[in-house]
Amino acid sequence: MEEYINEYIRPRLQGDGGEITFLKQEGNEVTVLLQGECSKCLILDRCLKWIEQRIEVDRNEKVKIIGIRKKPYFQDV
Amino acid sequence: MAHIKVVRRSMRPEEWINLRFGWLKRYIYKEKHEIDTFVIKDARQVSEMNFEFYDDEFRALKKGDMYFTPDGTAFIEADYELPAHLEGKEFCFALKTAAEMIVKVNGVYVGGIDPNRERINLSDYVEGKRLHFEIMGYNRSKPDDERNPESLSVRGCRQIFEGGYIAVVNKAVQSLVYDLELLTDAALSEVFNEDFSALVIRELDAALNLIDFDDVRDEDVRAASEYIDKNIFSNKEYKGSGSVALVAHSHLDIAYYWRRIHAVQKNLRTVLIQLRLMDKYRDFKYAHTQAYTYETVEKYYPEIFEELKKRIAEGRFEPVGAMYVEPDCNIPSCESLIRQCLYGQSYFREKFGLTVNNCWLPDVFGNSWILPQILKKSGVDYFVSNKMSTWNDTNRFPHNNFIWRGIDGSEVYACVPPTHFISWNMPSQVQENWEAYQDKNEGGQTLQMFGYGDGGSGATEEMIELMHRFEKLSVMPETEHTTGSEFLKKNFESNDKLATWDGELYLEMHRGTFTTKSKLKEYNRRLEFMLRDAELLSVLRIKKGEAYPAEKIREIYKKLLINQFHDILPGSHITPVYRDAIADYEEIEKELCTIIGTGSEYFNTLNFKRKNLTFIPDENGEVIRRGEKGYYAIPDIDALSSGKISAKNAAADWISVNGYNVETPFYSAEFAADGSFVSLRDKSLCREWVNGDFNKLKMYHDTPGNYDAWDILPNYKDRPCEFTVKKPVEFVKADGECAEFSVIFATEKSEWQMIIRFFRQARGIEVEHIVDWNEKHKLVKAEYGCNVLSRELICDTSAGIIRRETHRNTSWQQARFEVCHHKWCDMAEHGGGVALINQGKYGVSAENNVMALSLLRSTIRPDPTSDMGEHDFCYMIYPHAGDAVSAEINKKAFEYNIPLRKADVTANLPDFGALWLQSVKLSENGKKIVVRLCEQNGERGAITLPEEVEVLNMLEDEIGKTDRIEYSPFEIITIAMNKEC
Repeated sequence: MEEYINEYIRPRLQGDGGEITFLKQEGNEVTVLLQGECSKCLILDRCLKWIEQRIEVDRNEKVKIIGIRKKPYFQDV
Repeated sequence: MAHIKVVRRSMRPEEWINLRFGWLKRYIYKEKHEIDTFVIKDARQVSEMNFEFYDDEFRALKKGDMYFTPDGTAFIEADYELPAHLEGKEFCFALKTAAEMIVKVNGVYVGGIDPNRERINLSDYVEGKRLHFEIMGYNRSKPDDERNPESLSVRGCRQIFEGGYIAVVNKAVQSLVYDLELLTDAALSEVFNEDFSALVIRELDAALNLIDFDDVRDEDVRAASEYIDKNIFSNKEYKGSGSVALVAHSHLDIAYYWRRIHAVQKNLRTVLIQLRLMDKYRDFKYAHTQAYTYETVEKYYPEIFEELKKRIAEGRFEPVGAMYVEPDCNIPSCESLIRQCLYGQSYFREKFGLTVNNCWLPDVFGNSWILPQILKKSGVDYFVSNKMSTWNDTNRFPHNNFIWRGIDGSEVYACVPPTHFISWNMPSQVQENWEAYQDKNEGGQTLQMFGYGDGGSGATEEMIELMHRFEKLSVMPETEHTTGSEFLKKNFESNDKLATWDGELYLEMHRGTFTTKSKLKEYNRRLEFMLRDAELLSVLRIKKGEAYPAEKIREIYKKLLINQFHDILPGSHITPVYRDAIADYEEIEKELCTIIGTGSEYFNTLNFKRKNLTFIPDENGEVIRRGEKGYYAIPDIDALSSGKISAKNAAADWISVNGYNVETPFYSAEFAADGSFVSLRDKSLCREWVNGDFNKLKMYHDTPGNYDAWDILPNYKDRPCEFTVKKPVEFVKADGECAEFSVIFATEKSEWQMIIRFFRQARGIEVEHIVDWNEKHKLVKAEYGCNVLSRELICDTSAGIIRRETHRNTSWQQARFEVCHHKWCDMAEHGGGVALINQGKYGVSAENNVMALSLLRSTIRPDPTSDMGEHDFCYMIYPHAGDAVSAEINKKAFEYNIPLRKADVTANLPDFGALWLQSVKLSENGKKIVVRLCEQNGERGAITLPEEVEVLNMLEDEIGKTDRIEYSPFEIITIAMNKEC
């Protein structure tokens, strides 16, 4: 899963100025750290849902993505 | 008792107007017919015009469905049969989206849609009742302009499809909406007369009272418009003042929050939108920069390019900015900036028959003092750049329309418009521009650019409609919609009242861009000099019968120039942009290595004798420098000549080490544990060089706020952080030429090794830094407190020297706490000084007797991975007698940056005396050898050539003939010679 997040999902999010880091998988829960533009995205839940869908299509796994945002304290938007 | 704020709950008149205004917008469309046949295929763009699809088949796209994916491009299609009653009538396509779309109907590019516009006229472009839609949509999470609050609220990778429609516009309602846009902005912006605002609010309220918002009827809407005409537009009692030129423009970052591959479509969308606006509005003109963007339209969208050419010929679509891209104007070398003009102008000449006479750089982060001469000699008389007026953080730049005098005394007319280059043409923005304009009495009109930008987009129908209403609003300044070149000619040419600014156009912001993304800077420097040598060696091989690889070199040069774009080389971009740049640099380097080739001897490509210690790569060498084995030697090879070099196995008895005390032929030095010098006593000059922290690494918290990659704030010094010495300085090894010392620092996450090299035959002391860097928001500087009394730092600009004060007397010096330099900087008094000669470090600070080279940053926006990982870089500390010029620091810097090349060639070039041989290349027309010479020390002189040569401008046009060159300080001279050199 970590490799999939790093090599497949990460470049796509980076393409929109985002950043994702795999943190852990416990059962069907995958926890990721979200930085960059993802950290302040107002509609991040849609993107997390998309990641879940891709994982199901590409890896045949049903998972729940738990996203933890890490937004720098100084960012005003 | 606690204070309870009284909140007014009843609606103010202006709020009541806004509420009805919003309601009125719902009636803009007279008819809307939903297209329910949309299908979509999601893809990801992998290179220019190439896409990887998630599925082979289209899927249905219905209103309410999710569409677009992270970093995604969507291909959307639909077939629709036009309702019979709309045949022959005026109708449009309407689609509201946060994405950016290029729309083709029945094979015709009908226009673009993006967060700033939601409809496209169809009836003027398509025939028949069957409509086939082909839409390419791309969704970048940063919308074109985040100053547009509506865009900001919907940004994100996944969007909800709000449906697409065939619609008919209610022109009466639309016209009233534009009136209300204009008047509410004028009345509520607080920049106009308050009595005028009161009048507008009162009369707008009365006009809207004519409409029953429960049953909006066309005749009532027309009555409201007529009321506004009669009671507001006809009122000329409120007089505005001033004269503002309105130039439509869209700023397009060719890479930023998107990759260069995406800029192809961003640009096409922008161009297409402006062409369609020209179809509708006969008076509309638009200015577009960057020859590169025109090239992409020509390459991928030839039918649009043909339309574009027609509008250019009409003078309505205006190529502005003579350069190939809008480059950073701090870091690129003189020759790179010349090539920006050469390749930009060559394209405009070849394709459109134009030499663009202005340089249009609205967004660049300050402008080098060497630019005026380059522009003037590249057919450019006018310079436009916005940021100094709107972004300076300390001083108000004192002029908007003025003359800019360059380092050599060349002058260009310069316009630094008073307000931002992105505006949406509101009355308040025009007024604010006039109010901020500082040359009201001398400068003529002030320039206001309008149009959305950063990612393109440009002017909208709304902006043009508002502009057409400006003359009805007596309180506004007089406005004139014009082209960039018309504005510049009208207000600057022959204007003898303009003030002169003699100096660099330093931007008091974005000072971090000299340092952010260290590897890009290092690569850029190295490749600039590799290109020089590749061209020179290719010319020298012509007489051996080898073909000059003109096409390949031009292609490589353009790739380097693209990567000098002002959001690439400065480091202000997202992760994939950095990867693209590095991939380009690797490819350029590989191709240049092939062109440079190899040979049996070392060839000195410099036009002076190499006599300074040089690192010679050799796999049998005992020194490892930047990961490469080799040895140090003094080449002793004449200018443009070949020679052999070999390692000398001498004893290491020239150095003695006793604890932290070191004796070399040049110095008695004493280290501190952290590798800094407690003392550096010069034996031959009998003087101490150290006064304060010298060669001391200092790490600071570097938190500049939202403009993270861009800025260093002056208060970084307030928060130094611990940089622990993990392994104190120690003697490592010595051979017959070089002795190495090493010190290792560590933080919780990073390790930093500093290697200090003394030499037997050279007074330079080299410092190499090998770093595993994993910090966030840290800045590392190497500080040099010099034992000299100097009030200026002399900096190389790549084409001469600039002197910057090191005191903090006024706010102007205070603001320049971090500046850009090129190969070297120097702090000296009459008898001597200390130079720092670098190989790709551009940021430096200087205060009193201390200069500090900025080495690494670790910013997280826009790229959270910025500068992370391994680094290895070198620079030279060079104490010297005399000043920087008499010590020939510039020559030493060339020797340090340009390696010897292995090549079996001979040169027949004349002796150019003290002039630097900046470039030798085949002319663009392939007939002559172009030689570019640059005076770099601020001296005057003359050289006599063995035969008459053509004198050229930088566009390679012949402007005279001579066999004697008289040069003045910092002059750049271009000549053409025959191919036998």
